[in-house]
Amino acid sequence: MAGLELLSDQGYRLDGRKATELRKVQARMGVFAQADGSAYMEQGNTKALAVVYGPHEVRGSRSKSLHDRAVINCQYSMATFSTAERKRRPHGDRKSSEMSLHLKQTFEAAVLTQLYPRSQIDIYVKILQSDGGNYSACVNAATLALVDAGIPMRDYVCACTAGFVEDTPLADLCHAEESGGGTTLSLALLPRSENIALVQMDARLHQDHLPALMEAAMEACKGLSKVLDSVVRQHLQEVSVQTRE
Amino acid sequence: MATIQVSEAEKVYIMHGVRDDLRVDGRGCEDYRHMEIETDVVSNTDGSAKVRLGLTDILVGIKAEIGRPRPMAPDEGYLEFFVDCSANATPEFEGRGGEELGMELSNSLYKVFNNRHSVDLRSLSICPGEHCWVLYVDVLLLQCDGNLFDAMSISIKAALFNTRIPRVHISEDEEGGKEIELSDDPYDCMRLNVENVPCIVTLSKIGHRHVVDATLQEKACSVASLLISVTHRGTVTCVRKLGGGSLDPDSIFEMTETGKRVGKILHGPLMELLQKEESLGKERMKVGFLA
Amino acid sequence: MPITEVSSSRQGSRGNGDVRPLFARCGLVSQAKGSAYLEAGNTKVICSVYGPRETERKDETDMKSGRLVCDFRLAPFSCPKRGAWIQSAEERDLSTGLAESMQPGVCLHRYPRAQIDVNVVVLENDGSVLAHAVTCASMALADAGIEMYDTVLGCALRQDGDRCLVDPDLAEEQGSVRESYGENQGRVAVALLPNLNQISGLQADGEMRADTLTAAVRMCVEGCHKLYPVVQQAILRAVKRKAPPPPEK
Repeated sequence: MAGLELLSDQGYRLDGRKATELRKVQARMGVFAQADGSAYMEQGNTKALAVVYGPHEVRGSRSKSLHDRAVINCQYSMATFSTAERKRRPHGDRKSSEMSLHLKQTFEAAVLTQLYPRSQIDIYVKILQSDGGNYSACVNAATLALVDAGIPMRDYVCACTAGFVEDTPLADLCHAEESGGGTTLSLALLPRSENIALVQMDARLHQDHLPALMEAAMEACKGLSKVLDSVVRQHLQEVSVQTRE
Repeated sequence: MATIQVSEAEKVYIMHGVRDDLRVDGRGCEDYRHMEIETDVVSNTDGSAKVRLGLTDILVGIKAEIGRPRPMAPDEGYLEFFVDCSANATPEFEGRGGEELGMELSNSLYKVFNNRHSVDLRSLSICPGEHCWVLYVDVLLLQCDGNLFDAMSISIKAALFNTRIPRVHISEDEEGGKEIELSDDPYDCMRLNVENVPCIVTLSKIGHRHVVDATLQEKACSVASLLISVTHRGTVTCVRKLGGGSLDPDSIFEMTETGKRVGKILHGPLMELLQKEESLGKERMKVGFLA
Repeated sequence: MPITEVSSSRQGSRGNGDVRPLFARCGLVSQAKGSAYLEAGNTKVICSVYGPRETERKDETDMKSGRLVCDFRLAPFSCPKRGAWIQSAEERDLSTGLAESMQPGVCLHRYPRAQIDVNVVVLENDGSVLAHAVTCASMALADAGIEMYDTVLGCALRQDGDRCLVDPDLAEEQGSVRESYGENQGRVAVALLPNLNQISGLQADGEMRADTLTAAVRMCVEGCHKLYPVVQQAILRAVKRKAPPPPEK
């Protein structure tokens, strides 16, 4: 491994985590009043905001509407101050367009779009602070926002990254680990059915290691799904207490 | 911005309320809505602040980068403003939809800070003519519920207060080349004096009176508003008439007077609050969006 | 160039409160519906008006009132430093300023679902461009036969300490960098509807006390009134020349 030692001999990572340990996850639903659904997600130092509008009539040209299901429209953007080096514009570059597309594909697999023919659901995500795992933070935040908006889904969509260092799979990579040059696998999972909504891997990996890596990512996603579930339950409890008053 | 349709009857109701100094939400004509301020919310910026005014939500992040000073002012640094109207605020801003408003807002910010005393630009100079600090002030609109200007200026002031610029040491090698070294100690940093940073007060003319901090409904009843940016001493740094209507000179003078008064009152508690927040030091609970 | 101490020795030997001599003509761009040319000292502005016509963007059509689209350009050769052909942020800002000043003067409700284009090009920038663009645009709109509540007149001012210089030229407008460290430094531009006594546009920046600002706005209003006879005459001339035949009914 060049430069940084990502995994110490004692089995600890740069930030003191064990190999399969997730970063601290904090989340809140219903951050904004004007949107139909919104959520805020912190995974370690990665912070994401997701907002959902809809389902509503298809905006712009009618030709985009689908007669049998809803259109899912995603926009991924990053705050100009979210990265170490200032970004010149928040969205519109190749990387964010690609990310928007990935999010769209992920949520088309999870949302019950056939319930809303000829309509549109907008999902806007914004990275406020970036420290690795932007895609997964966005997916998790958007899931909570969709739940907040009351849009039916097959299951939570939980996403997590996993990497591979010295024959050990690492879960939930931070920026330093991601940019270390090793393999990174992003996985979006519907945990109950164990269906995969999206999987993406770049850099080279021996095929024998792939099952182990997938296994680690799936475990991490399942761990996250428990956190998301508790966030949703807590939110519902708070809301129901408020409405009772 | 969430567009709002207001019926004629509603307009009359709001106007009559304003005439009697009682607005729909129970405020007087010169009162602001409930405001929440928190600084230091984004850890990879040099300064940041989040302000919520009514439902208007604004996040400001400031990054200091080393750049070349402007040829017109070799011994000064400068500020760059960028306003990102994100789709989070409203679907209309998706893609390039928010660019026009963002441009207008950032142009107004340049005007507000277009003077010598708001920020001491000379303190941002590192090496005259060669290097200076450039403060990138990035404003992120997360939710719009009227009165963007005031909320923006307050969050910028709070973020500038929170900004810590690392100290630099200039060392010269034998050939006369200069080398800039950033201090390694994160606590060895420079603070900005934000006392003179102006706050914007937007006054909307409704009927024969004018109100501070108009909501979207009130905005729909008003023909024109006046943006006034005021420092703590009551000096006016920018005035701009906004909206499609016109105002008679006397009401402009009245509004300037009100703007000055309200702006002066706004600065005191704001500075007090920022200092109080900072004095809590590490004990402060950071809530951010988790509140 | 430093601003001279003695008020009467201002460039062109005019007083601090005086506007530059104005030359104004309507109707010189034959293809436009209406046009105007204005010269104040060395500041030269040309404006042409097209429309009312159907809006370009259908989704922005307003059923009740028309749209006034203003486009402000500084010709690349107009400033001491060559500019670019594409619209800069400054020009875009001036465009919004122009639109906000013009809108209250035009009876837009008379042109439902229509669009009126106002194109202003500054041929030579010698200070107070926005103010003169407003005056010029209002003449062009009148020449185009667009219904208006009143003419819109613009006047700018440069506050330099206790002195205020009305209708500043470029050197006065920018001042020297060192000087502007003093107190009460600022620029004000006002657009006025003279007969209705309404201010339709107001922009000020710099650093001024509230009372100075108030006085400055008053000075600008006075300056606008000085322009009025010249503008009125130019419009009258254009109308007489066109002398539309009386309606037959």
